[in-house]
Amino acid sequence: MEPFEPVIIAFVCNWCTYTAADLAGTSRLSYPTNIRLIRVMCTGMVDPQYVIKAFLEGADGVLISGCHPGDCHYINGNYKARRRIKLLKEILPRFGIEKDRLRLTWIGASDGIEFAEIMTQINDQIIEMGPSQTRLNKAI
Amino acid sequence: MNKAIGRTVVAGAGLSGIRSALDLAETGYKVLLIDTSDHIGGLLCQLDHQFPTSTCGYCRMLPMFDRDRSSQHCLRKGLVHENIDILLSTELISVEGEPGDLTVTLKQTPSLIDPDLCTGCGECETVCPVFVNDAFNEGLTKRKAIYLPSPQSFANAYTIDYAACTRCGECEKICPTGAVKFIEQDRETFKILVVDDEKIVRDSMKEWLKEEGFSVSTADSGQTALDLMGSQSFNMMLTDIKMPGMDGVALLTKAKQINEDLCVIMMTAYAEVDSAVGAMKQGALDYLTKPFDPDVLISMVVKIYHEFEIAEARVEKVDALILSGGTQFFRPELGKNSYGYGVLPGVITGLEFERLISGTGPGLDPGSGRLLHPQTGKPVRKMAWIQCVGSRDVHSGASFCSSVCCMISIKEAILAKEKFGRDLETTIFYMDMRTIGKTFDGYRLTAQEEKGVRFVRARIHSLSQDSQHADKGLHARYVDLGGIVHEEDFDLVVLATGQRPNQQMADLAAKNSIGTNAWGFIETQPFSMTRTSRAGILSGGSLSGLKDISESVTCSSAAALGACKVMHAAGKRRRPESDGEIPVDLARETPRILTVLCRCGSDFSKKLDVEVLEAGLARIPEIESLEIMDNLCTEEGWTTLIEMIEKKMPNRLVLGSCLSCSHKQKIKQLETSTGLASNLIETMDMVSVLKRYPGSHIREATQGIERELKILISKSRFKNPVPMERVASNQAALVIGGGIAGITSALSIADCGYHVDLIEKGESIGGNLLWMDKTVDGLDIQAYLDECVKRLESHEQITIHKQTRVASTAQRPGEFATVLQHEDKGHQTLLHGVTILATGGNQAPLEPAVGDSQYNVFTQKEFEMAIQDQTIHPEQLNSVVMIQCSGTRDERRNYCSRICCIRALKNALFLKEKNSDTQVYILYRDMMSYGFFEDYYTRAKTLGVIFFQYDLENKPVTEFTDGHCLVKTHDLLLDMPVEIEADCVIHATGILPDLPEALADQYGAALDGFHFFKEADSKFRPVDSMNYRVFSCGLSLKPCTIEEAVSSAEAAAIRAVRVLAHERLVSGKTVATTRTATCSLCEMCVDTCPYGARFVDSLEEKIVIDPAACQGCGVCAAVCPSGSAVLEGLGSQQMLDAIDMALS
Repeated sequence: MEPFEPVIIAFVCNWCTYTAADLAGTSRLSYPTNIRLIRVMCTGMVDPQYVIKAFLEGADGVLISGCHPGDCHYINGNYKARRRIKLLKEILPRFGIEKDRLRLTWIGASDGIEFAEIMTQINDQIIEMGPSQTRLNKAI
Repeated sequence: MNKAIGRTVVAGAGLSGIRSALDLAETGYKVLLIDTSDHIGGLLCQLDHQFPTSTCGYCRMLPMFDRDRSSQHCLRKGLVHENIDILLSTELISVEGEPGDLTVTLKQTPSLIDPDLCTGCGECETVCPVFVNDAFNEGLTKRKAIYLPSPQSFANAYTIDYAACTRCGECEKICPTGAVKFIEQDRETFKILVVDDEKIVRDSMKEWLKEEGFSVSTADSGQTALDLMGSQSFNMMLTDIKMPGMDGVALLTKAKQINEDLCVIMMTAYAEVDSAVGAMKQGALDYLTKPFDPDVLISMVVKIYHEFEIAEARVEKVDALILSGGTQFFRPELGKNSYGYGVLPGVITGLEFERLISGTGPGLDPGSGRLLHPQTGKPVRKMAWIQCVGSRDVHSGASFCSSVCCMISIKEAILAKEKFGRDLETTIFYMDMRTIGKTFDGYRLTAQEEKGVRFVRARIHSLSQDSQHADKGLHARYVDLGGIVHEEDFDLVVLATGQRPNQQMADLAAKNSIGTNAWGFIETQPFSMTRTSRAGILSGGSLSGLKDISESVTCSSAAALGACKVMHAAGKRRRPESDGEIPVDLARETPRILTVLCRCGSDFSKKLDVEVLEAGLARIPEIESLEIMDNLCTEEGWTTLIEMIEKKMPNRLVLGSCLSCSHKQKIKQLETSTGLASNLIETMDMVSVLKRYPGSHIREATQGIERELKILISKSRFKNPVPMERVASNQAALVIGGGIAGITSALSIADCGYHVDLIEKGESIGGNLLWMDKTVDGLDIQAYLDECVKRLESHEQITIHKQTRVASTAQRPGEFATVLQHEDKGHQTLLHGVTILATGGNQAPLEPAVGDSQYNVFTQKEFEMAIQDQTIHPEQLNSVVMIQCSGTRDERRNYCSRICCIRALKNALFLKEKNSDTQVYILYRDMMSYGFFEDYYTRAKTLGVIFFQYDLENKPVTEFTDGHCLVKTHDLLLDMPVEIEADCVIHATGILPDLPEALADQYGAALDGFHFFKEADSKFRPVDSMNYRVFSCGLSLKPCTIEEAVSSAEAAAIRAVRVLAHERLVSGKTVATTRTATCSLCEMCVDTCPYGARFVDSLEEKIVIDPAACQGCGVCAAVCPSGSAVLEGLGSQQMLDAIDMALS
């Protein structure tokens, strides 16, 4: 059997985490290539439907990553994201999705090393959790 | 008449330079932004966190409206703006002429790497054999001689360190795009003369320099050197200082008479560094301390060779010049007390510590999350900060306070605690904790009480280390306030190094008759923080001395205002808004996407399977075609692309290339030459995507690129192609408050050509200045106020409304309608585009328990007024007690009012001047004589003013007995109670702001916890509110001196002018809209918008948006329950499709 290679969608904010991802690239830090970055303006614009859609379409994990609290370019978008993600985690199990498959992190613009580390760590975590149930259902 | 567009040179592209440049660029003037370094962003690129928030908000300085004229990413990556030209590695040499007609000479060191061709692939770095200390990491790590200037740099172009480069040529050979080109350097024509009485020195230097290709002659004495100079010309002279007969300094003077352009380096023994520094003032470029390393000599000579021989001079005609070179840090190793810096392991500077713990720094241990010692690599458990290293220290030539180090050290201690856990012990050794901002005192308390940072008021004399027991770390001895000696060991000691003038700017000032002050900082005119001694030349940021981020930003905006006034007075026009042609409405056309990939980067051909990629993309119906091309970065490549677009006539473009081709300016060019709107062009940085696939994983890399392209295609094909929205904008201003801040901002806006209405609730204009006589510097305040009021009253662009208040106001996109209420004349409605809240503040009243006027107990204001009315005669006073922080900096009003200590010093000096026998006592907690005010503190101590320090537990108490006051306090130094009999007691009660919450609220502004105006960002937008049309300045913003009030008023004025300058404001391409048909008017979007960009139009019953206020964050779209709030440019359809594509 082929080793399980998860599919992870990461919504990253334009100002901090995307810069960190860029920095990881220019610093030649390797991180799992199965994490697919979607750049958004702010984590505060990540509508719960985007997360649920990603899971229903087969993502094994979803990451939302933005600026550190207080750093948000739009002042408080990341706080709004934090509240929303907390609620979203409550309802994910009703869709048959373990709540740990959704992660929220803060990665600042100069945290290239941290970005690569967190990506690796999330990838490992999802591998340990195994394929998402919704993905299996889809396969059937 | 076709007038020229106004243009300003901003010298220095750090925080301050960027602020000035952006303010002018947003107003519509052209800016040439230069910097001597190889990247923009200055010191802030090296810092990840700023006090007092411990966060970064650098990006908040970017333009708010018409955002797409500028880059929209982290400022550490760089800056692109249509109106700003940036020249790096460029020095300002001279400036001549008058305001409005300046000629500046610049010198640019050409790069051996063509930034347009460099893709940042990094192959050169791998082959470069030279390792040097990485200056970006303050020498804590090594880098190659070919390197990226800053880790996040957007241009991504490599640069070469000439001084370190051995010109081996390996990088030139390996560069896949031919970007590295070593110019044939003719070093032989560069003639060097070595003068030293020791033969061995002469000969070895000759040999070393000859090896580098220079022509070298030698002379054994000053006279021989002069004789040689008579017969042939030299470019450079290296001379010993101590020689028999004519010494080096005398030779320097004579040699300069023969050849003024001669570059001279002095060589000296360690003991004579002072004379070498003296020689530099007489025109020597630099000095070397004997014995020196050949590498040091060579790198110095090569650097000078590049600066003077290779550098290209260019002359620019501009209207104004803003100097914003910032300051330099004091170098402890050059001071009389170095604290073992550079010798003892573990003694580092604050900046080194910041680099150590930065996300891009070398100090973190990824495994344990602990802080590692930079030299020994062991975990750090105990840290200390030593304040005032090279500040408040006459021995190091700095009798001033560097103003910012206290807060920086608190921040660093907090960061250390936050990053490495509470177990890490942190101690700050300080003299006075100068928490001189409105939130700073609270920050200190948080550090002390919540975070567990230890504060010790003591001065560590020196550090030592037991060589037998190096593991014990650094040994410190200090005496506490009670006189008890303590000994303690620390693993890491951070020196809070003070600030020094920027040497390059000081040289420039000296050569161009720009005045400097006693310490070598640029001197500004009375009551101004920006005007230098030469008209048309302004000083921005900390160049004129000692400012934190918010003050620097304020001062730089004020400098931009100065430049703006010069350009307006010179009759220069602004750049027209490029809205001539309305783009074709494509709403009814099916998307036809042209996808173009450039394969210039070497990775491309190795890693991509184009056929697979084509097959993958072919399934998307909107794709017109996928084109692969070469060298897009060349002119030829660019023409090919334009031809391709003209032939295929796509209505959308997805472009994958290296960064140099996909940045804003290029895309704008593409829009102009092809007519394809820039908001319909999506770009992808191929290099950074491909870098994620190491080795030769062709399949993965191809899939990766395919997926990234598809995500972009999703965004492109569902993009609504409606042209960007514009909002008509009112071009008049309303200033509320007739104090000095209000007066200055009104005059400044009017001087830039816009109408201003100024309202004042009282009968007279002048505010607090009306009761003041002189500043601590002895400047005549009344004369200054008179001059300002006269100009205000006679200005044709200004209408003054006295005895008037704001009754109500309403805002709609682009305009305010404010109803004014005059005490007698009734109501009047004003339409205006911007509002400046300059409502000021007052000195807090005495607490009833303390005061008793029959016993001569005053506030500072009352005392000064009593002196003016002559109800008090200073000559007759025997004993005066001043009590600082009376009713402030405690639980009720927990902020420092910044100016009371200076006012106390002013009054103390005044009393001592009137009667030197008067005993003056100042009872203080921390003496906040920041910056150059420190000098007055020293002077007061010299004149015999007695200072007693007290703490919160033992506040001074005044008792009244038959005509006398008895002040009781507990002095910390003596550790015993003190009683002082006084004729007069003066309380420093601090500042209370006078900004009614209801007023601020009406204008969409907010108040902070102390009822001052709340800034949009206390650091990076220090005079703005969240509403982009409302600003504040003066005392309603924060406690400040008159100069600082003027500076903030000028800053508020330019921030207002940049809005007023446009008849119509353009939104960004990502902007919120509302689908009125489905909207239920629940107003959740209105509440959630951080910028107040959404309004309820109650007449039409719909939500309207100010598209210029909207910053495109998309929060409204996420909260809307019915999907009626839409983020145009990144809407849900685009996002959902992108998710599909990402999962494909």
